[in-house]
Amino acid sequence: MSIHTTCDGVARRDFLRVGALAGVGLSLSDYFALSSQGAVSEAKGKAAIFVRLGGGPSHMDTFDLKPDAPETHRGEFKPVKTNADGVMISEHLPKLAKCADKFAILRGVSHTLAAHELGSRYMNTGNRPLPSLNYPHYGAVVSKELRGTEYLPSFVAVPNLGENATGYLGVEYGPFETGGSPQPGKALEVRGLALRNGVTLEDVDRRQNLVARYDNAFGEFGKEDKLLAGMDQFGQKAYSMMRSSKARDAFDTGKESEAIVNLFGKDQFSQSCLLAMRLVESGVRFTSVSLGGWDTHSDNFNALKNKNLPTLDAGLSGLFNALAAKGLLETTAVFVTGEFGRTPKVNARGGRDHYPRAMFCLLGGGGIQGGQVVGESDAKGEGPKDKAITPDDVAATFYRALGIDSRKEYNTRTGRPIMIVRNGTPLRELVA
Amino acid sequence: MRTAASILLSTFALTATLVAKDAPLRTPEQRFADLAKAEEPSFRRHIVPLISRAGCNGRECHGSFQGRGGFQLSLFGYDFDKDLKQMTVNADGDEKQVRINKEHPEKSLLLTKGTNEEPHKGKERYKKGSWEYNTLLKWIQGGAKADVEATGEFDRLEISPKEIVFKKLGDKVQLKVLAHWKDGTVEDVTQLTRFRSNDDSVSTISLAGVVEAKDKGDTHIVAFYDNGVHPIPVMLPVSDKVGAKFPKLATTSKVDEHVIGKLQKLGIIPSETCTDTEFLRRVSLDLTGTLPTPDQITSFLSDKSPAKRTTKVDELLKTPAYAAWWTTKLSDFLGNNARVLRGNGQNNYGDKFSRQWYDWMQVRIAKNEPYDQLMAGIILATGRTKPGQTYEEYSREMSGYFRAENPLNFTERPNMPYFWQRQNLQKAEEKALAFSHSFLGVRIECAQCHKHPFDQWTQSDFKSFQAFFEGVSYASKGGGKGSPGVPGETITYASLTKEIKEAVPPDPKGGNNQKALGAEFEKRVKAGEPAPWQEVFAVVRDSKSKLSEREIEQMKKKNPNFDGRVLTPKILGGEEVMLKEFPDPRAPLMEWLRSAKNPYFAKAWVNRVWASYFHRGLVEPADDMNLANPPVNGELMDYLAEGFVKNGYNMAWLHKEILTCATYQRSWKPNDTNKNDEKNFSRFVIRRLPAEVVVDGITQATLGTERLAAFRDDIETRAIGPNANAGRGGKGASNYSLNIFGKPVRETNCDCERTTDPTLLQTLFTRNDPELLTALEQAKGGAFIEEIRKATSGKGAAPKRKGDDAELAPRIAKLEAKLKKTPTNTELETELKQAKEQLAKSQPKPAAAKAPLANADDYIAQVFLRTVSRPPTATEFEKARADLAAASSPADGVRELLWAMLNTREFMVNH
Repeated sequence: MSIHTTCDGVARRDFLRVGALAGVGLSLSDYFALSSQGAVSEAKGKAAIFVRLGGGPSHMDTFDLKPDAPETHRGEFKPVKTNADGVMISEHLPKLAKCADKFAILRGVSHTLAAHELGSRYMNTGNRPLPSLNYPHYGAVVSKELRGTEYLPSFVAVPNLGENATGYLGVEYGPFETGGSPQPGKALEVRGLALRNGVTLEDVDRRQNLVARYDNAFGEFGKEDKLLAGMDQFGQKAYSMMRSSKARDAFDTGKESEAIVNLFGKDQFSQSCLLAMRLVESGVRFTSVSLGGWDTHSDNFNALKNKNLPTLDAGLSGLFNALAAKGLLETTAVFVTGEFGRTPKVNARGGRDHYPRAMFCLLGGGGIQGGQVVGESDAKGEGPKDKAITPDDVAATFYRALGIDSRKEYNTRTGRPIMIVRNGTPLRELVA
Repeated sequence: MRTAASILLSTFALTATLVAKDAPLRTPEQRFADLAKAEEPSFRRHIVPLISRAGCNGRECHGSFQGRGGFQLSLFGYDFDKDLKQMTVNADGDEKQVRINKEHPEKSLLLTKGTNEEPHKGKERYKKGSWEYNTLLKWIQGGAKADVEATGEFDRLEISPKEIVFKKLGDKVQLKVLAHWKDGTVEDVTQLTRFRSNDDSVSTISLAGVVEAKDKGDTHIVAFYDNGVHPIPVMLPVSDKVGAKFPKLATTSKVDEHVIGKLQKLGIIPSETCTDTEFLRRVSLDLTGTLPTPDQITSFLSDKSPAKRTTKVDELLKTPAYAAWWTTKLSDFLGNNARVLRGNGQNNYGDKFSRQWYDWMQVRIAKNEPYDQLMAGIILATGRTKPGQTYEEYSREMSGYFRAENPLNFTERPNMPYFWQRQNLQKAEEKALAFSHSFLGVRIECAQCHKHPFDQWTQSDFKSFQAFFEGVSYASKGGGKGSPGVPGETITYASLTKEIKEAVPPDPKGGNNQKALGAEFEKRVKAGEPAPWQEVFAVVRDSKSKLSEREIEQMKKKNPNFDGRVLTPKILGGEEVMLKEFPDPRAPLMEWLRSAKNPYFAKAWVNRVWASYFHRGLVEPADDMNLANPPVNGELMDYLAEGFVKNGYNMAWLHKEILTCATYQRSWKPNDTNKNDEKNFSRFVIRRLPAEVVVDGITQATLGTERLAAFRDDIETRAIGPNANAGRGGKGASNYSLNIFGKPVRETNCDCERTTDPTLLQTLFTRNDPELLTALEQAKGGAFIEEIRKATSGKGAAPKRKGDDAELAPRIAKLEAKLKKTPTNTELETELKQAKEQLAKSQPKPAAAKAPLANADDYIAQVFLRTVSRPPTATEFEKARADLAAASSPADGVRELLWAMLNTREFMVNH
């Protein structure tokens, strides 16, 4: 193990020691206790659900309509009133209009990265991507900062994340990818946790004994060596997760009450939102779900009207309402974002193209003040009207709701100190 | 060492701090304490080091990029102009309200804040009237002048003693630091030096430079003054087995001599030699990324030749798996990443380019082409493969590699330009960072923004180095100033692009027609016709000439602080280079890499190879060679690097030199003296297998006997081979396992992207992931368990999986429930009856289960050989026989044993 002093003179070895212990040396409860340090705060948020709208949803046709903009811009949809005073959204989001008090709309969120991947990396990390450094996904930071439960992973991606999620933090904070999306009323067979291939609980018990019978080549040294001892502890933890009915039930949306199930649609996105809610209820700290198909370069209005908006409306309203019904909304921060907005001017193919200068995000739950609009885009939706909200600010706000200090510094593996979010300031209207 | 030891001995009775005797030079305190008699302090030699040592320009204080309290110093110093300005001029450019008050020097904020007379967030840094205070005051009284020009360049630090070997805990030694300047000046700067211990659980160092032994073991103390960074080794022996008491150990290799040389000082006795099976497994995994097969293990064990270990290394060096695995490793170090190779404006050729890159290197590694030659083929590469090649010829050649019929062989290209082609390497600074990481094992990114905290590199060093890469491009323009166009050529990137556009009918919807254009491009490529391929080329920029106004304008757009100066490229730690003398700005760099004086090129590779064979490099992290991070065994590093160069950059020589030495062949079993040693290679430190090796290992352990023999060499199907590069980051099933086990994505300049930390997800994978469970039972070309099932279940019996049985019970329950609702449903009734019969059949017959399996011992031995690469012990045999006898069928029993062995730590680690 090498030793370096970081720029401020803190010996890097200390960091490495903590890092190494977190990975292997400590008992797992210690490990979670350690990772929860820094999460001691008065924040209400204890868990998060991240809803990614892949492709970049049009702001002008969803949550930032411009009925007074010229015809070339305003699009086909009409704004309608919501249950929040003065807040208007698209007519094709009727269910969300009835629960707009549960989330805040951020308008005039603005950046300059018009490519899907770069935009996503910015929006998924709160840091403008650099070629020399990979920032960790929100989920990796949250799973590092917040205490998880004994029998479930801290960070779950439904069905997967498809990107390097952990950045400089390292694989131990990576997502548990379910690999599939839930079907209505059925248990989601999650890789590694679900008992498949004919494996029964008795098999799990028997196999646990079997490993113990054969895994003793290292004798006493197996307890002294950090790597070997750590691997053994992960073995115990994996066993308790596989053994736990709670863990399996968390992935079984069929175990949910009818009243709650009925708040959601039957499609994959709705079911994923329902699953995310169950996971949060069971102690998962960060769940990401995603809804793609927003890259509407042509035929924007039909695509949105017939498919995307109804799907989003059902799933997201279900999520907010179910969290509220279960009393989880106060402790669960929900963050909805795409990688950018879309061009205010409609193109020749009835589509809208990539447009990062103006986009929207939604933030709700976790003590975030809902039922309001924060920030504003200009008359044609072409950019922020006054001060832009940056993705960094949104990130800082999200972390604040979870009680994570976004200015906290981590050391990268090269010993370089990096703030969780380098440039963001929490939006005061949303979090105290 | 002798000096230190003798000082210690001669002053044995003293508990007070020891001072080196030969101290003719006066200390700063002696020179500056008495204000009346004090010499004139120098800004560079005394003032800047003083405020650095006081911590003023640290990151948390005024070194922060935002400054503190309106006062901002350059981080870790070295921007003398700026720092002086910060002290003497305020933001408006006048001299009011500045840190230095020339009229009333003692009222200067630099003094009153530092003493906390004026409230200071940083508290008191020096006492009023102290020598430090007086030094600063004297300098201000003298007019607070800069003298960077006058002092000239710093030369080196000289520290005594050169090494410290302590006798017992609590021993103390005072260091003395002399600064040598190029103009011949020598000063005692002990009191102006910042010190740091690389491990203060072993040794601490006080502000004044007193080293104290805190624990057994070894580390380095590092001194920082001006541009000098100087480490000295410090140690306290672990046992009393030092000197004459150290056992005589036969050392047959130079590597062992150097390793034992250090262990002797530390009193650490190395572990025994590992067993033959341990060695075979270890060397197969490390050199070829592959587990030995049962046959190989058996024949190695029965080989009685004393040289069999060395012979084995020779043999493995010739296998395809060796070339495949080391090409994968080299791909990591060089950043071979399909995602960033897609090519601008072209169809996405990322996966294909990445594969070509891999193949090009693999062919050369297999041939054991000299390392410098291999690297030169990458470093100096251009798109065009011979002088005078026209764009048309180049473009036809590129299409030729991908054409449908009889494609050209990319590996026959004299060079491989993709290193420079990556999208994350567009700017010169990005190229400089990647170059220094890949070929020098040096991280200079710190110096991009401030002086490197652990090395000599300053921001201006970085900028001068970056200047080498200004002219290297991957672009579409052919014909710009100095670009590779051949005079008079009419077929260019632009003309081919136009041709393609004209060949495609316009999109009726008015769209950008990407798909059709892409198809036309593809059509040409398939036919081997010229298509608009971008190309890598290098242009020499004349550093002496002035930029045109337009160029300056453009530069300023990119960088508002651009001062219009073109830097003369300067080799890291070396001289300025007049690029005009070279056809390609990279040529002098390559010359420098190959020169005997180069401090990095050979060492970077030696260190990475060492780090692959042990749990750490000689320098660790392996790609972070800097002055403050010296090798744990400098003599060993020098020996290997010199030998590597002397042998013509022979990679096979290096592998063999390390793998055949006793140090590599130590057992993991510790003894009393070395159980805490993880630094000096006195025992084999256990490490988890790399991602690809785990994935391949699982496949290999579960494959049918016939497939197993071929799998080793069939690199196309291997995770250590070329195909694991393709589509990384995608959603493929095997990517999941590679990701969770830490295969690097190769996007950042850091060897640390590859991780071998264990995680919970990895354990869940080996315990219960469908990918693993399926591999146990089924495999392309047949699984081991399937074979056993066939052999033991009698002729014609369909192989039956346990899964079928397990599903029966719930199915029966369901059918019964349904039947209750609709009792008249005859179809259900039949189905239920069948299911019940099937279940009854599948219940193991007690008699059959009890019958001893004829070749049970063979199966048990196979499982052990396949996973932990050794025969089972007598106890293990006994346990396994019992487990097999109790299983529902022989095949199930073997499967459970195989599952268990794959889940042992013994399988998952290299030991």
